[in-house]
Amino acid sequence: MFDNYLIRSDSLRNDVIDGEVVGFSMAVRIANYRGVFLSLHTGYFLEIDGTDYPREVQSFEVNGKPPRGFDEIKTAINEHWDYDDEAFLHVRKPGGLLPGEHEIRFQQCVIAAYGYLPTDEEWVKSPPKTGTGAGSDKTPHIVTYHLTLNEAAEV
Amino acid sequence: MKIGVSLYSYQQSQFFRELTLEDQIREVGENLPGADGIEIVDEMSLRYPDPGEDFVRQWFGWMEKYGTIPVTMDVSFDVLQFRDHVMSYEEVTERLVRDMRLAKRLGFSNVRVLSTCPVEVMIAALPEAERLDLRLGKEVHQPMRLEGRQVQEIVEFAETTGTDRLGLVPDFGIFGFRPTEVLLDQYERRGAKAEASAASVELSARLREGRAPFDLDDVTNQTAGNLRVAYKAYIATGECEPGLAQPFTALKEFTETHVPEPGELDYVVVGEAIMQSNTSLDLMRELAGYVVSCHGKFNNMSEIPGKPGCFQDLAIDYEGAIDALKAGGFKGYVNTEYEGQRYSQDRTRAEMMDEVEQVRRHHEMLRRLIGIDVTGEVA
Repeated sequence: MFDNYLIRSDSLRNDVIDGEVVGFSMAVRIANYRGVFLSLHTGYFLEIDGTDYPREVQSFEVNGKPPRGFDEIKTAINEHWDYDDEAFLHVRKPGGLLPGEHEIRFQQCVIAAYGYLPTDEEWVKSPPKTGTGAGSDKTPHIVTYHLTLNEAAEV
Repeated sequence: MKIGVSLYSYQQSQFFRELTLEDQIREVGENLPGADGIEIVDEMSLRYPDPGEDFVRQWFGWMEKYGTIPVTMDVSFDVLQFRDHVMSYEEVTERLVRDMRLAKRLGFSNVRVLSTCPVEVMIAALPEAERLDLRLGKEVHQPMRLEGRQVQEIVEFAETTGTDRLGLVPDFGIFGFRPTEVLLDQYERRGAKAEASAASVELSARLREGRAPFDLDDVTNQTAGNLRVAYKAYIATGECEPGLAQPFTALKEFTETHVPEPGELDYVVVGEAIMQSNTSLDLMRELAGYVVSCHGKFNNMSEIPGKPGCFQDLAIDYEGAIDALKAGGFKGYVNTEYEGQRYSQDRTRAEMMDEVEQVRRHHEMLRRLIGIDVTGEVA
């Protein structure tokens, strides 16, 4: 769902902390027709210009709170990511991205479902590998974006 | 029979911030003659799980201002919410009970649970449904059908106990008899062959007439999404659970005899034929007394050739379904549930479907088939 609109097209930028570029970020929406409890959100398949950025270097900013790693998001069992709300996906990469256009291959992993599934116990142990389509909710294929880097900004 | 709209129909307009919740309610109250029912998906329309007291006041203000009535609230459950264990039935019940209290707070009469909600959970929530004066309806969604255990166990419970608090929410997708043209168009944009679309429509017709090389019973207990995943895995690996081997093998053979050099996507397209429920209209009539409310599911309203201003979904048997509900004495709400917008969401916003127009067309059809006279009403 909303394939070309899950990342806001003008949102890609480098993240700055105390004057230093520590990584980059983009604004994202949920690939569903409803919000979900935040704990169900397990990260992204994210490949930029051929480089993979795994969930370990990703953090997620939502509900007016500072960015949290997906280990911490996992514990947000009573907090909801509402359907209307934009969130920010931050990626740790010292120096950030180079200026200009980038090819982004993208898939969100949210382990929401219609009831019980055969994969439930397995996903309690560890969530599905991102990018496989498993747990990818209503957009079960990787979507490619071409986005231009904007002015860097303080996180 | 009464008519309304599930605001699910406007999910795309909400995503793009083109219609607020109030705009959606106003559209139902002011632009759809004869309609007053409102249905929502709680996690789509509300600040969840607690929208706050100010919102609740505003909500009732809108209902009064636009002459609308909260009918059914659709709720979900995600069994991995706690992440360190799979939710037990008790925990699913706790979530359902909380959602029921929210529904009551917003004035809804019914709560729709997912087709995958265990009947044990519905029964466990029954005392709360009585206390809150709510009805619980299990959605019957394609490829599930009215025939089968999931419906039978609710009907038996209701008959044995005499309760009218547990019932069914039929989704009109179960009256579908072929894949919708907008889904087939989307597959073709992704590279599927036109022959695969034709084969899918042909196989659907054979299944409907009982001329297919396999029976659908093995697939109707699965959700459409899970069935698609299983079939894709079968095409890739040749493996599947034993019950699905016969239909999947037959599907593969049908594809290979009807589509030249089929690719992965072509197999998937032909496989859409088995997502049709082919449920019985006679059974719908017999079960009408157990219906809480209906999801008037559709995917594309197109003008009926030779009838300007009259519309149909050419993949769903609305006439048969409405007649069966009428004959069975159903007096509740059919709430429009437009879902075809997702099949153009691989495109740009300008090329996507217009939800407002699609719902207005659907209401033209509903009024005509049900026989709702609005000649005296100022639209």
